[in-house]
Amino acid sequence: MGTIFANIMAIYRRELQSYFASPFAYLIAGVFWLLSGFFFMAILLDGQQGLIAQAALRDQLGITTPPIDVAYQFLNFFLGVLGSLSLFVLPMLSMGLYSEERKRGTLELLATSPITNWVVALGKLLGVVTFFVSMVLPLLIYESIALGAADPPIRLGVMVIGHVGLILMAAAILSLGMFISSLTDSTILAAILTFALILLLWVIDLVATSIGGPVGDAITHLSLIRNYNNLIQGILDVSSLVLFISYIVLGVFLTAQSIEALRFQRS
Amino acid sequence: MIEAEHLSKIYGTTPAIEDVTFSVEKGEILGFLGPNGAGKTTTMRILTGYLPATSGTARIAEFDVHEHSMTVRKQIGYLPETPPLYPDMTVEGFLHFVGRIKGMAAGDRPSRVESAMTRCNLISKRNVLIRKLSKGFRQRVGIAQAIVHDPPAIILDEPTVGLDPRQIIDVRNLIKSLAGDHTIILSTHILPEVSMTCSRVAIINRGKIVATNTPEQLLAQIAEGSGYELEIEGNIAGLQKRLQELVGVQTVEVMSSQAVVQRRHRLRVTTQSGFDPGRQIAAIVVGSGLGLYEMRRLQASLEDVFLDLTTEEKIADSSEENSQDSDELRSEDSVETSQDTQDINNNYPASPADAQSSEPGEVA
Repeated sequence: MGTIFANIMAIYRRELQSYFASPFAYLIAGVFWLLSGFFFMAILLDGQQGLIAQAALRDQLGITTPPIDVAYQFLNFFLGVLGSLSLFVLPMLSMGLYSEERKRGTLELLATSPITNWVVALGKLLGVVTFFVSMVLPLLIYESIALGAADPPIRLGVMVIGHVGLILMAAAILSLGMFISSLTDSTILAAILTFALILLLWVIDLVATSIGGPVGDAITHLSLIRNYNNLIQGILDVSSLVLFISYIVLGVFLTAQSIEALRFQRS
Repeated sequence: MIEAEHLSKIYGTTPAIEDVTFSVEKGEILGFLGPNGAGKTTTMRILTGYLPATSGTARIAEFDVHEHSMTVRKQIGYLPETPPLYPDMTVEGFLHFVGRIKGMAAGDRPSRVESAMTRCNLISKRNVLIRKLSKGFRQRVGIAQAIVHDPPAIILDEPTVGLDPRQIIDVRNLIKSLAGDHTIILSTHILPEVSMTCSRVAIINRGKIVATNTPEQLLAQIAEGSGYELEIEGNIAGLQKRLQELVGVQTVEVMSSQAVVQRRHRLRVTTQSGFDPGRQIAAIVVGSGLGLYEMRRLQASLEDVFLDLTTEEKIADSSEENSQDSDELRSEDSVETSQDTQDINNNYPASPADAQSSEPGEVA
């Protein structure tokens, strides 16, 4: 058990270190911060469309019902935007996880070391999720500044569940992206395929409604956006958590299997 | 220590290796020699457990590489064809990482990493990113990662490829210094490498082991069948025919262009294996009233052994391709040609050229 943990940590540290050593990762983080900062300002402070402006307008017009919780509304919108932004960012983070190893031949080192495939996959996933968390952390600072000024104050639970939802959804996407990355030597191809897959999972409830019936109903539950929306509204929906965790486990499992299968292919 | 028994690997319908059997004793260095594409890498990958064999078993330290994969992986250090390096890590950081995933005790790691770097002359580059290292240094980091956890068995796939002559010597000395405590298999297509570093050689061609022996014995095997080079003064018109009639003489070749002095000729006499008619040759030359100025035995090199063993196969194969006749004729064909290897070498320049082109790297 101790060695398994040590192995996971070894892979995790290497993976994380490679993100922090990569200019490309900083570029992605920079763009993510820029865009999220822009949306933050737009949602909250925009002259006409901003939440504060709209609330002020309602007050001026004397509309008091239904009451509007600006802080809650804002968090909801902002996390929604972050979710959509992540759609574009996450494939770029996961694309190199295995395809780079395959290309560099380092997979041969991992495959001939006393370390199991799922340990490698788990370590890598933890590494990339940690990097994503480090991308989200700075946002928390200005979120808390803005929300700290809210009166009545926002419930801490809503904030925690919303952000945990964001991280879990990201982890689910990264896990599936890792699997796709393990299928190919080409990082670009991995990114494109991952993007296509999560786009499909993102909007799959639209597909499901057009199918209808019990099958459609079942497919609806696979939708990322649907479950994500549950969480960012502050609803602690266990089924959503279970779904994201299932995606994560599935991704790790499939990755380990695909790396194992790679040995039996022509190399 | 390392055993391969009847290993075969078939990709689809093409066999990469067939019935490969050999064993390496503890402390030995086995050279795995063969032309490119002969199946060296496949064999090594099977030994490390990276690829499963289609049939046959491989054992390292008595453990089956497939069934006890994790145990075996702790016992081996492996340098694949392309050194498995992370370009964004420093040399020292990378070796620590390898130490960790090889399951080394945390307490041993700093000293082991230090000693691996010392052995591979990497101390000066310890804090340099691998991305910035030259090919030679990368290769050394590759070797360092194979030895950092002090494995009993070391498997090196073409460890000297892409190095300059100076570095090749360093790497060879390093490998030699590892013998004794470690059991080593190294693959190469460079012949002198084997005679310089290895205690035993396995020659593989087209997926089959064609010979396993010590380098010396392999040489001895064909030394007697090599021949002589003569320098003769006088009219050699009749001599050639008389030499040709001698028992054991295969070919007599006049290399007149190499005549040093006028009226002196150089002859090359090749002999069949098992015959050594040096005495008779000298007697005939002198008996004919000609001047014998030089008589030198042709030294067989490992290269000759190699060509001897590997071209035979090629010929058998190409005769198969060419001959549209019955099976009987075909087998006759290949027997005939294999006796005539020396001649055939000239007709099939592909591999001699290969071997020669590898030589410039060998000049020290």
